[in-house]
Amino acid sequence: MFSLFYGLWKYLFSKMELHVLILGIDKAGKTTLLEKMKSVYSNIEGLPPDRIVPTVGLNIGRIEVASRKLVFWDLGGQFGLRSIWEKYYEEAHAVVFVVDAASPSRFEDAKSALEKVLRHEDLQGAPLLILANKQDLPEAVSAEEISRYLDLKKLDERVYMFEAVSAFDGMGIRESVEWLVEVMERSKRTETLRARASAMGPGP
Amino acid sequence: MGIVFTKLFSSLFGNKEARILVLGLDNAGKTTILYRLQMGEVVSTIPTIGFNVETVQYNNIKFQVWDLGGQTSIRPYWRCYFPNTQAIIYVVDSSDTDRLVIAKEEFHAILEEEELKGAVVLLFANKQDLPGALDDAAVTEALELHKIKNRQWSIFKTSAIKGEGLFEGLDWLSNTLKSGGG
Repeated sequence: MFSLFYGLWKYLFSKMELHVLILGIDKAGKTTLLEKMKSVYSNIEGLPPDRIVPTVGLNIGRIEVASRKLVFWDLGGQFGLRSIWEKYYEEAHAVVFVVDAASPSRFEDAKSALEKVLRHEDLQGAPLLILANKQDLPEAVSAEEISRYLDLKKLDERVYMFEAVSAFDGMGIRESVEWLVEVMERSKRTETLRARASAMGPGP
Repeated sequence: MGIVFTKLFSSLFGNKEARILVLGLDNAGKTTILYRLQMGEVVSTIPTIGFNVETVQYNNIKFQVWDLGGQTSIRPYWRCYFPNTQAIIYVVDSSDTDRLVIAKEEFHAILEEEELKGAVVLLFANKQDLPGALDDAAVTEALELHKIKNRQWSIFKTSAIKGEGLFEGLDWLSNTLKSGGG
């Protein structure tokens, strides 16, 4: 009996699109990350890093991992644009926060932006993946160091992970995406969002 | 289904041509933008009744740009041009704050159109040279761009008169179209 329900749950889960928000301050490498994920997981060749311009708006990446449909929303990180981040919180299953690990002068800015994200009630219970990006650069600090610097309080009830990645050469990308799929599958928030979606009838 | 679209896309961009519609309220600066892109200079324009169409070659893409008249009475005809459109450039007069609400409503009505479901959206917050023009963040807010969740969009501050911001927008557009679009 249990396995029947579990099978059904698995089935519904695989049908559903999972929305992942990619946030972080400007120049953290969010769009480069998105393009890298597209190259790794689909046959679409992502844009090469030198072609990427600062995002003023929304980039979308759709990938399929182990028959799950993931939709990444990459939003611009410049200060004036951060006010629209919260408009996307309600429908997000998980958040990826990208930090440029090679630029210590901006850690403070990243910390306060992230704290503000975490305080928002629309993101309650959303799994959080914090990426120490740009590991291809020699001056990049480790994920542990980023975690020590960000010194996040009140993370205990949230599922989270720090990961060292390079959106440039692809280091850590698969590990990150696999972790996301795994935690979203188990997260209570996914359940809540699914219930709400089915209550509102078939989506577009 | 996905394969059909992939094939469609590669056939569209194999020969690198894209059909672009330039839309927006009357007096937003659509025609000035079109000719600035095409000839690199400012032409004096009169209100467009009907359309202007020009080909703009940029970044190895041939943009077929349709500039449609924006007056209230002729906006219903926009939809005749919707089929096979890869991108919309929506032009806003950032200094005309009184009509931003109308600009917003027209914009969201366009997004609802079935035939434009796959089109990516580029916005020009135009007339930045005028005093009192709202910046990109303010226009984003006023047009409620955050409601767009299933297609890519981007907004650029432009001044068609000075030639600022336009090609940055086309850069984004050509990148986005090349990497698979909406």
